[in-house]
Amino acid sequence: MKRLADRPAFWGWLFITPWLAGFLGFTAGPMLASLWLSFYKYDLVNLEYVGLENYRRLPLDPLFWKALSNTFAYAFISVPLGVAGSLMIALLLNQKVRGIPLFRTLFYIPSLVPSVAAAILWQWVFNAENGALNLGLGFLGLPTPQWLQDERFTLPAFVLMSLWGVGGARMVIFLAGLQGISETYYEAARLDGASHRQQFWHVTLPLLSPVMFFNLVLGLIGAFQIFTQAYIMTGGGPNNASLFYAIYLFRTAFEQFKLGKASALAWVLFAILLVFTLIQFRASKKWVHYEGGEA
Amino acid sequence: MVLGRRAFALIGLLVVGMATTGCFSRATGCPEGKTCLRYMAWGNPQQFEVERQIVKRFNEQNPDLHVTVFSVPGTSYAQKQIMMLGSRTAPDVMRVDHYFFPNLAAKGHFTDLTPYAKADPSFDPDVYFPTALEECYVEGKLMALNVLFGGIAMYYNKTMFREAGLEDPWELHQRGQWTWARFRQSAIALTQFEGGRPKRFGTTVPQLPAIIACLRGFGGEMIDLDANRSLLDQPGTVAAYQFLADLVWVDRAAPTPAQGANFAFTFESGKVGMVLDFMGMIPRYREVAKGFDWDVAPIPKGPAGGRTVIKGNQLVIPKNCKNPEAAWRFVKYMASQETERVLYAQIRRCFPTRKDVAYSPEYLQTDQPPYQLQAFVESVENGRILPINERWIEWINALQMETDNLFAGRERDASVVLSRARDKINTILSEDPGL
Repeated sequence: MKRLADRPAFWGWLFITPWLAGFLGFTAGPMLASLWLSFYKYDLVNLEYVGLENYRRLPLDPLFWKALSNTFAYAFISVPLGVAGSLMIALLLNQKVRGIPLFRTLFYIPSLVPSVAAAILWQWVFNAENGALNLGLGFLGLPTPQWLQDERFTLPAFVLMSLWGVGGARMVIFLAGLQGISETYYEAARLDGASHRQQFWHVTLPLLSPVMFFNLVLGLIGAFQIFTQAYIMTGGGPNNASLFYAIYLFRTAFEQFKLGKASALAWVLFAILLVFTLIQFRASKKWVHYEGGEA
Repeated sequence: MVLGRRAFALIGLLVVGMATTGCFSRATGCPEGKTCLRYMAWGNPQQFEVERQIVKRFNEQNPDLHVTVFSVPGTSYAQKQIMMLGSRTAPDVMRVDHYFFPNLAAKGHFTDLTPYAKADPSFDPDVYFPTALEECYVEGKLMALNVLFGGIAMYYNKTMFREAGLEDPWELHQRGQWTWARFRQSAIALTQFEGGRPKRFGTTVPQLPAIIACLRGFGGEMIDLDANRSLLDQPGTVAAYQFLADLVWVDRAAPTPAQGANFAFTFESGKVGMVLDFMGMIPRYREVAKGFDWDVAPIPKGPAGGRTVIKGNQLVIPKNCKNPEAAWRFVKYMASQETERVLYAQIRRCFPTRKDVAYSPEYLQTDQPPYQLQAFVESVENGRILPINERWIEWINALQMETDNLFAGRERDASVVLSRARDKINTILSEDPGL
């Protein structure tokens, strides 16, 4: 009989046990519990089965649509801009120039600032009277909006702020992707007379498409869950202009104690993310190219 | 299958590690032979230290009991509290912000204190201000005792008033001439712009719940609790909101939301002449407001009088408490004369709930600002509690979202904004509270 300790699988399971316990206890378990709760009216004391009532009522709530539209607008503007920004910085930081490690560090530093601290910092930047942004705009003779107080400008302000993170993990992944592209492709392209621009469009971009796909999927999932910045900077205002889906969900659960409705909201968000991720996977067959294989 | 020796050793090591790091530890710190209670509150380190000293004194006076106090940051207190109540792990005594109290009490989270109060010969409800107990009753049952209580009054920069040649609000109040019309004139006179940029403002738009004090002066109210409907379309309510919006956009005597962002204009910095707030601001103003004289006066009178807003927080015994008799002794001690003298007369954290402390020379006489503490006494004598019901958080949020536009100047007509808010609030109030 082979001893259990001699089986590699045993050690594998043993070492992932803490993670597995955490996943089952703190992720999978609560997820299933929230699915169950979404069919109940629950305020942490009284539990009453209501079937699909929580889901049926969501479309009747104007704040649900407001939160959804705010979140969609934020995600579909900030993610493409962010991915493009990260790619541009990665391309710059992939150049062979003196002091490149220093530049890479400098660009990465903003992403190390905790999100709460960054939110407070950006509150100052967006200050309509004395903020750095409006001082700069005023200097150039441009209009100086009330970024966080005027509902027309709140969402653009959050999109602008999201670019703060372009030098972070996404940029590092792009950089790793760029460095993984073999020099031989460029050499062959140059021999065929390809210009720098042609090399970028026909070599770099196709070979970087799996990385871009990864960043797009994760970026969209992250953008749909925006919370901290808006919670701290505007609390969802003014006039719900920055009421993002996660803030609405949080308020429903922990300010109004409607745990059933909040669970339904969470599962609707899960379904939305699932659909968009599946769409991206389906669409990726047309534009993502894997080296040595089909898309 | 057989486990190897090394595997056993590894698992053993994990178990020992978990035990030593506290995963299996069940130490409670409760001294042998005593009934132990846990008390949860919020407060900054200085405030918490005072409460710790009060608890220590209680423990010394009650050798059969042992209370341990722990604090939870104010920003996450409400969430922590509801989680603990929901999971039946709440401490034996906890402080609840009144904004949440009616909602939580209606859900049956708290012990009815009526039998304990009736059976206790040392408990006399008449020693408290009636409004201090009014907040604690739910359907005729005493569900809590009040702490950190008080009414809203007006802080003002005496130096600014003197330099502008304006009459002192406290003196005007004594002659019955401190009105919202006078407040507006003063705010305009105190405001200064330099090169088109604001240097100082006469006042700021009051935040909730202070804004309700202004509404009441104009004869307005937000909600009819009995009829469960919004009163935002009442002429007094509309007039008060219009008055406040005009202070910003017509008179330019109060900062716009953009001008006031990031605490650019605060009373303690000497850049604002008058603000409405609770007594709890005194410790901060005493520490920070330097270089000018300041004092307090009651809120101005409007066409409908000058009834201000009163609010407290409640000390409750959650339903899961195993020793409610012992917890009642502690709750009563926290509202005792001895404790209130420390909390309110000495460190001035809030207004006393007890009349004997509020009317005592120790509370009324002081050698540092604010001097007219009578203003807070009058606010509690004349004020009314807030119209908080189970749906407060929901409807007040709906109202604020609408009035954001009014104070940001995107809309100028208060009646239009408030009629929209009224409809939204009436919808909220008519809906099933759990869905």
